[in-house]
Amino acid sequence: MKPRLILALVIVPLALVIAAVPESKVRPFKLTANELLTEVAGRSQFISPETVADMILKKDPSLRLIDVRSPEEFEKYSLPGAINIPLPDLLSEDYADILNQDVRMNVFYSNGSLLADEAWMITRQLGYTNNFVLEGGLNYWFEVILNPQKPSSASPDEEFLKYDLRKGAGMALGGGTQIETTTPRTSLPAVKPAVQPVAKKKKAAGGC
Amino acid sequence: MGPLAVNEIISENTNLFLAFIIGIAFGFVLESCGFSSSRKLAGVFYGYDMVVLKVFFTGAITAMLGLLLFSLFGWIDLSMVYVNPLYLPSAITGGIIMGAGFILGGYCPGTSFCGASIGKIDAMIFIIGLFLGVIIFALGYDLWDGHYMAGFKGEPKISTALHLSDGVFALLVVIIALAMFWVAELAEKKFAREEY
Amino acid sequence: MEEKEVKKTVSTKYLNPYLGGVLLGLVLLAANFVAGRGLGASGAVKSVVVSATTALAPSSEEKSGFIKEFRESHQGNPLKTWLVFQMAGVIVGGFLSGAIAGRLKLKIEHSPKITSRKRLIFALLGGILFGFGSQLGRGCTSGAALSGMAVLSLGGFVTMMAIFGTGYALAYFFRKNWI
Repeated sequence: MKPRLILALVIVPLALVIAAVPESKVRPFKLTANELLTEVAGRSQFISPETVADMILKKDPSLRLIDVRSPEEFEKYSLPGAINIPLPDLLSEDYADILNQDVRMNVFYSNGSLLADEAWMITRQLGYTNNFVLEGGLNYWFEVILNPQKPSSASPDEEFLKYDLRKGAGMALGGGTQIETTTPRTSLPAVKPAVQPVAKKKKAAGGC
Repeated sequence: MGPLAVNEIISENTNLFLAFIIGIAFGFVLESCGFSSSRKLAGVFYGYDMVVLKVFFTGAITAMLGLLLFSLFGWIDLSMVYVNPLYLPSAITGGIIMGAGFILGGYCPGTSFCGASIGKIDAMIFIIGLFLGVIIFALGYDLWDGHYMAGFKGEPKISTALHLSDGVFALLVVIIALAMFWVAELAEKKFAREEY
Repeated sequence: MEEKEVKKTVSTKYLNPYLGGVLLGLVLLAANFVAGRGLGASGAVKSVVVSATTALAPSSEEKSGFIKEFRESHQGNPLKTWLVFQMAGVIVGGFLSGAIAGRLKLKIEHSPKITSRKRLIFALLGGILFGFGSQLGRGCTSGAALSGMAVLSLGGFVTMMAIFGTGYALAYFFRKNWI
């Protein structure tokens, strides 16, 4: 009788404590605030649009473009071969394997670089590597990579956009050699960052 | 941060050595509780000796709460701990066959080694049977590998299946276990047999 | 009168089951903390069978689906697994406990209502069934039921219910062997 009572008196409060505490966070932050600040200051997460355009033209298999905007915006326009992971869904289990890996180079992009940079910050803090941010986002992409063409002043705004988009898609996919830019740029694309291998933690085999 | 071997805090060889040490503790505790006796083990099915239920469930809730507490303190990463996979049909059929083996043989693999280590000949024969059973399974593997590999459901947890948090589910198990202990004590008084 | 006293001392020599359970739970906790897996037993038997088979008949490695399935998760020596080392420890631990308690004795334990021979036949049959079932069920009471419950595994729970459910269902028919 007595051992049971002692057992019950010890175990039940313990169980109550554990039941009361909310579910422990599954994915703890791997980087400290200081470490993250150092990386952010170095701006090493940015990848230039030239490099990305180059990879698209060369059909580089290691590139994976990730559109972090809403699905509606993704439907309207997306970069060739891009997949859509809206920022609110970033931490969903479905995308864990895409974001935490060492095979491809993930390049986040959004209209500017705000959303994409936010996505990078969060994934970097979880310790993921091989994720990058498209410098300047789609806005800069249009300006630098695509040919802006002045449509007639009477045309509606939509025509402007459509023209740009079509031209852009054509240019990116057509293997064009001319990239007219408004700002002077060097002819050599920036050095492509290498994919860093991640030491995968092997879960123990169990069972009987 | 545990698990130590998974996070490479200890080497694979240290892990194997510790397996040996943990095994010694495992065997020692099992034998001390009387799990080396087939008659004590079979008693759970007849009510005269509920040691299996008491030890088993106390062990399960201690380890369950221990793991959750460790996780709470950040001492272990539970996502790296092995959770048994569920292959639904074979989990059931395998269990049924094992249940039959239990009531006939009065041992399970772990306890049979305990029994054999203190000289129980029936435990040793049981172990021979174990090897034969595995060999039979291996020889006829192609006959039942379809059944064996069917119905894979991943590594689901009971708590997620019941839409409860792990902690709340653990509390539930504790309450159920304690209730079973009280019933077990009553059963032992009612169905008592001589111990030998 | 004397008999009753002797029996009393024998039964009190066993550890209190609740204390034993807590200790068992701590051992299981240690296993999970150190190795990221729970305790087990039947897997060690599987390892030995695979090891012996590949040693005696090397060609069986290609022919046997069973061995191929084992090889998928274990490269290298089939005996160099966590469970084999653990079971070696179990034998030592059980022996130590028995030695300390004075329970070391070569005997065939059986109910006085049946013969030793009958007990051994049933032990063999039980072992064969358990050996086969443990492969099919991917674990036994230690690996699936006990360790499974500790990590809240549904698979472990299902197998556990099947084992004990069947045991209870068949208990009546084999009562003469035990009580």
